[in-house]
Amino acid sequence: MNNFVKKFIDNSWIELAARWFLGATFIYASYSKILAPAVFAKIIYGYALFPSIFINLLAIVLPFVELVAGLALIVGFYPRSAVLIINAMLLAFIVSLSINIIRGHEFDCGCFAINAGSPSTFSGPLLIRDLFYLALGGYIFLYRNSRRLCLYSN
Amino acid sequence: MKTVKEISIILGLSIVAALAVNYFSPSGIALVGQWDTSQGVVTAKEKNHIVIEGVEIGTVDLARKMYDSGDYIFVDARSTEDYEEGHIKGAWSIPVGQFEDKIAAFLERYPLDVSIVTYCSGRTCEDSHHLAEYLMELGYDKINVFIDGFPGWETEGHPVE
Repeated sequence: MNNFVKKFIDNSWIELAARWFLGATFIYASYSKILAPAVFAKIIYGYALFPSIFINLLAIVLPFVELVAGLALIVGFYPRSAVLIINAMLLAFIVSLSINIIRGHEFDCGCFAINAGSPSTFSGPLLIRDLFYLALGGYIFLYRNSRRLCLYSN
Repeated sequence: MKTVKEISIILGLSIVAALAVNYFSPSGIALVGQWDTSQGVVTAKEKNHIVIEGVEIGTVDLARKMYDSGDYIFVDARSTEDYEEGHIKGAWSIPVGQFEDKIAAFLERYPLDVSIVTYCSGRTCEDSHHLAEYLMELGYDKINVFIDGFPGWETEGHPVE
């Protein structure tokens, strides 16, 4: 690998910036879902992928996983495990989006702001955005040097 | 092993926080919602649950009979654009989001004792229930909600404009 690139990705400030950015993104994403779980539940229903019995539980728990994992990344509370959870969520979002794009199902992604009733017909950019976040998450997970500003890291 | 433990801690904290907030929050929802369209309008069952049972018109045929009787005012709860694209013939438009602006003309024209049927875009849409609730708060007490809404009406080939 190019020496400059290696220095860049091994730099602990870069890791911190990536961690804070991804953490803040997830905290922001959780906000409106936590305020309006009923609306978020309906968005999950709109994905037409999950058994009815789990829709409400997902709507209640998922935003808090986003919030807690996001906070954990920012304060550096088990950051490697937190980013693993975030990557798992991103993978799940990517798979759900892809399934609905492939089968041509119109739905509201409900990614950040939740405004039910505006199905997004063009989900390509959402997919690219999620892949970018996943790349960041992968980088944070694989980073091997010591991390800055962490409560519990190892 | 260490990772499993850490992940369990983070997920555990999330689940406890989620259930606690949902339990105490006024906008909390039931643990299992109503997501079966054959049972009526789908809803997460919020605490201040707006689906009013007992006022729902369960079939398109019944709605058509009520329509033909001429005794009911049909009110469309969908957005203005949806209304303009097509609505039940003769229906009024009061989009739920613009209730405050649109209600004055309706109030002026119809006394509180008229019979009303609200509708929106079918069983995945709660707007007709919201509209019914707002109208009830104003004092209209003869309200029915046609839950199959415009799509159900149109599919059966009933009069639209």
